[in-house]
Amino acid sequence: MTTQSKIWPLEQAAELVRDGDVLAIGGLSLNCAPMAFCRELARAGRRDLDLVAVVSGMAVDWLIAAGCLRRLIMGLTSFEGFGLAPSFRMAAQTGSVEIEEWSEHTLICALQAASAGVPFMPTRAGLGTDMPALHPERTWEAVDERSGERYLACAAIKPDVAVIHVHEADALGNARMNPKLVWFDTELVKAARKVVVTAERIVDTASFRAAPERTSIPSFAVDHVIEAPRGAWPTACWPEYPYDGDFYRAYQRAARDPSSFAELFAEHVAPIQEQTQR
Amino acid sequence: MSATDTDYTIDELVVSALAREFPDDTVAFNGAVSFVPVCALLLARATHAPNLIWVAGSIAVDPQPKEIGESTLSDALWGGATMLQSSAADFWPYAQAGRLNSFCFRGAQIDAFGNVNNTVIGPYEKPKIRLPGGGGMADLGCQVPRIYLWSTTHDPRTFVSKLDFRSGLGYGDGGDHRRRLGLQGGPRVCVTNLCVMDFQEDSKRMRLRSVHPGVEVEQVVQATGFELVIEGDVPQTPAPSGEEVELIRRLDPTGARKREFS
Repeated sequence: MTTQSKIWPLEQAAELVRDGDVLAIGGLSLNCAPMAFCRELARAGRRDLDLVAVVSGMAVDWLIAAGCLRRLIMGLTSFEGFGLAPSFRMAAQTGSVEIEEWSEHTLICALQAASAGVPFMPTRAGLGTDMPALHPERTWEAVDERSGERYLACAAIKPDVAVIHVHEADALGNARMNPKLVWFDTELVKAARKVVVTAERIVDTASFRAAPERTSIPSFAVDHVIEAPRGAWPTACWPEYPYDGDFYRAYQRAARDPSSFAELFAEHVAPIQEQTQR
Repeated sequence: MSATDTDYTIDELVVSALAREFPDDTVAFNGAVSFVPVCALLLARATHAPNLIWVAGSIAVDPQPKEIGESTLSDALWGGATMLQSSAADFWPYAQAGRLNSFCFRGAQIDAFGNVNNTVIGPYEKPKIRLPGGGGMADLGCQVPRIYLWSTTHDPRTFVSKLDFRSGLGYGDGGDHRRRLGLQGGPRVCVTNLCVMDFQEDSKRMRLRSVHPGVEVEQVVQATGFELVIEGDVPQTPAPSGEEVELIRRLDPTGARKREFS
């Protein structure tokens, strides 16, 4: 008997996501988003996705510019020192994508509820703010009958697919970040129905056995492994490469003019199709 | 303060004024686009608060960065850290348990009770300007007892009587609102490019504590879109000392803090 390989070709990555899915992507701000995977979704023209992106920027902007999203479920979307994410901003202002704002912790609570298999997770986060009322069917204030304490209930969000980017994975699905995992990615992995890992390199299982203390995600939690060298570009894949500041700046410059943007986007991501405005 | 004739710029004044607010037992997170607080935390640690612990992003504990880049959530800040957290989510329990006690907010809008908006200008469904989002504000505003506000744009568009959206909780509707929600602490100060403000004990309304050198009280009143509490004579914010200015320039050699002043 041989073991079954989970290796999947990058060129067919979009087949792992269906139109209308709830998709969650890893990374944080300018760091380690599964950009190569997002590019494949943009090229394939996936539509009507509900994207869960806790703290993101460029990945969200690509998927919005390519017309892939119906709804964005987010805590924060920004290019930080490089400014506001232009397609995100335009989509929110024109209403072409529904922006469902949560906060970092409440979104993680919703994912943790999904991984715990319970209807909601209580937290104090978000109390007294306007955020819960944006999605009252998913976040509501309540008082615990026993203690009398107030809390916010965060209903479970169970992504159909979660995609994270790591340094190394093997054909069985073992995955690790070097020197260790630091983002919100494990919370996505635990919650999702299907988990896809994109990796800078595919390595032998023996290298995981030689250093099991460094494994971030166990094989049984991963459904597909995709080799994607520089797969986080233009976000950083610390410590192997930094974010590409020149690209962020060029992207922002191009975004001021639709034809420049279409040109840059076609070169680096995907041709922009006519009907991206819904 | 030494050398009153020290050359300094407004960013250095704001950084030093915020730094002085952090006591020695501070254990602080920073959020996105938080160049001024990161500099202030580094300065406080290098001066009056040697035991201050700063957690870069919610990831690197007590780092010693050589410089600050375009992001305050980036690995560029992690050099010399004593620990990298395995998941950013793992640090929230320390905030909820009271070990992480401090966080700094800024907002596109700030109201009299220190609530902040970083979500939208205009109506949520059809905003005039879509902002990045509250991120961790809604979380840490509730979970961290010491909140420090800062703004580099003290004007009536920023300091408003009513927020377009409450992304982060300060004192809510004022008075004992936080306590009624079961939450501790609240905003301590708000440091801006014009002044330092704190909060009146009972009403929890913002109160003018000091004006920066060269700024008149009336100027602050005009720049504030809500009624500011003013009690008695308002002193001047101490200028940064020569040592502080030198330290700021050494801790942030590329001038990342200036990104917030444009």
